[in-house]
Amino acid sequence: MSATEKRILIVDDDADLTAGLAFFLEQHGYTVLVAHDGREGLRLARMELPHLVVMDIMMNERTEGLFTIQEIRHTPELKNLPVFVLSALYEQVPDFRIAPEAGWMAHDEFFHKPVNMPRLLERIRLRIGPDVPKEVPA
Amino acid sequence: MKILKLPKEKLDFFASVVQQFGEVHAPVEQDGQYVFKRLNRWSEARLDYNRTILPPKKYFLPQREVMFRYRPEAGYQPETEGLDKRLVLFGVHGCDIFALNILDQVFAGQYPDPYYQARRKNIAVIGVRCDPDEHCFCRSMRADFVDHGFDLFFYDVGDYYLTLVGTARGDDMALATSPLFQPVTQADIDLYKRRSWAKREAFKLDIEIRHLSEIVEMEYHSGIWDELGERCLSCGACSMVCPTCYCFDVTDDVELGSVAGRRTRTWDSCLFSTHALVAGGHNFRDSRASRIKFRYYHKQRGFVAEYGRPSCVGCGRCIAACPVHIDITEVINQLRGLLDARSQ
Repeated sequence: MSATEKRILIVDDDADLTAGLAFFLEQHGYTVLVAHDGREGLRLARMELPHLVVMDIMMNERTEGLFTIQEIRHTPELKNLPVFVLSALYEQVPDFRIAPEAGWMAHDEFFHKPVNMPRLLERIRLRIGPDVPKEVPA
Repeated sequence: MKILKLPKEKLDFFASVVQQFGEVHAPVEQDGQYVFKRLNRWSEARLDYNRTILPPKKYFLPQREVMFRYRPEAGYQPETEGLDKRLVLFGVHGCDIFALNILDQVFAGQYPDPYYQARRKNIAVIGVRCDPDEHCFCRSMRADFVDHGFDLFFYDVGDYYLTLVGTARGDDMALATSPLFQPVTQADIDLYKRRSWAKREAFKLDIEIRHLSEIVEMEYHSGIWDELGERCLSCGACSMVCPTCYCFDVTDDVELGSVAGRRTRTWDSCLFSTHALVAGGHNFRDSRASRIKFRYYHKQRGFVAEYGRPSCVGCGRCIAACPVHIDITEVINQLRGLLDARSQ
């Protein structure tokens, strides 16, 4: 692990999505951790202290991600961890009409699925910077 | 009072959204019983629970809390950590809310308790309708419904919850989740009334509390207290699980070799042999019989004189928790029976 390594935790029950997104982010120099439910995501977050989390909402339960984000916010060492939500919530539950911008979701940014990868990468870079290892003086 | 209607299938989203008002705690099953604890996911919540082992008072009057610390150079420093923590207690039964209203009288009355008051202010209460089981007698104690003391109250009416808004914070919660709600219809109101009446008829336990405080006074020297004293273990379980027992002990823990320390309060029980022990070694209630009598006397007689009603709300926890099966409803019926027998 380099001193400038940027770790991103992806929490999503869709194995195809996590594989694709992990590959994409790794291609751009990030170290990626993957969990397929909220509980595992929290365990990894506490253990690895990632720089950013990409979180799904509807996993084993349709509100699982929302409770997991709250648990992150109530965990002292994780409470400031940037959380990007990646969800098809509004597409899959059309009558849920409370916008993510209404202040109730403790996330940092919201992305609708299917996600625009270059746009997501741009926002990740803006939030935590690129993962370019630097020369460390001897 | 504003009344709304929430489809049950949207309750998980409702709970998710109200997390912005605080960490959501609800009844969760644990070893076949129920406890209020923080939810990690919505499916852990069991709104169909009968009663939690400990009542919600544990959030407002913790089993043990540091009140202040003292140090020569800094003087007294009140302990404020955690007092501003915002919680949402989801799924509190009517009798437990009634009990909180009783505790409000004690801790927000003549001698306001800043610790209790801060928590009461920062903890939102969402009530939920319940069905009585074999230990419930809240109807007898006139505590089977509440009209205040909650932010929101959910009444189960089939596929929906009729939602009563009790406070401005409750209104904020309803506004934040307004797209989830639907208008109330006359059919909902009719169903609510039928269910309300059905609950009234569903109680298996029934006791009469009219004139009870006088009867307890009149039976002060009854042999029933000695009989109960023979059975009672003075374990204090009934007090610990009681939603309105509020006795606490205060201790100073002084650091070794210093005059600095902290003052702590811890739940106490009038059943404990040390409860009425005073300096010099005298104990005002040194027998188990005198202590259990005191408990009944305080809850059914002393509290009435002070606050106008018994402090018991009929939640049934003391019946469920007592290891020797002392049943408050049987004791009260026995007291009344003794009186009836003598009056014949």
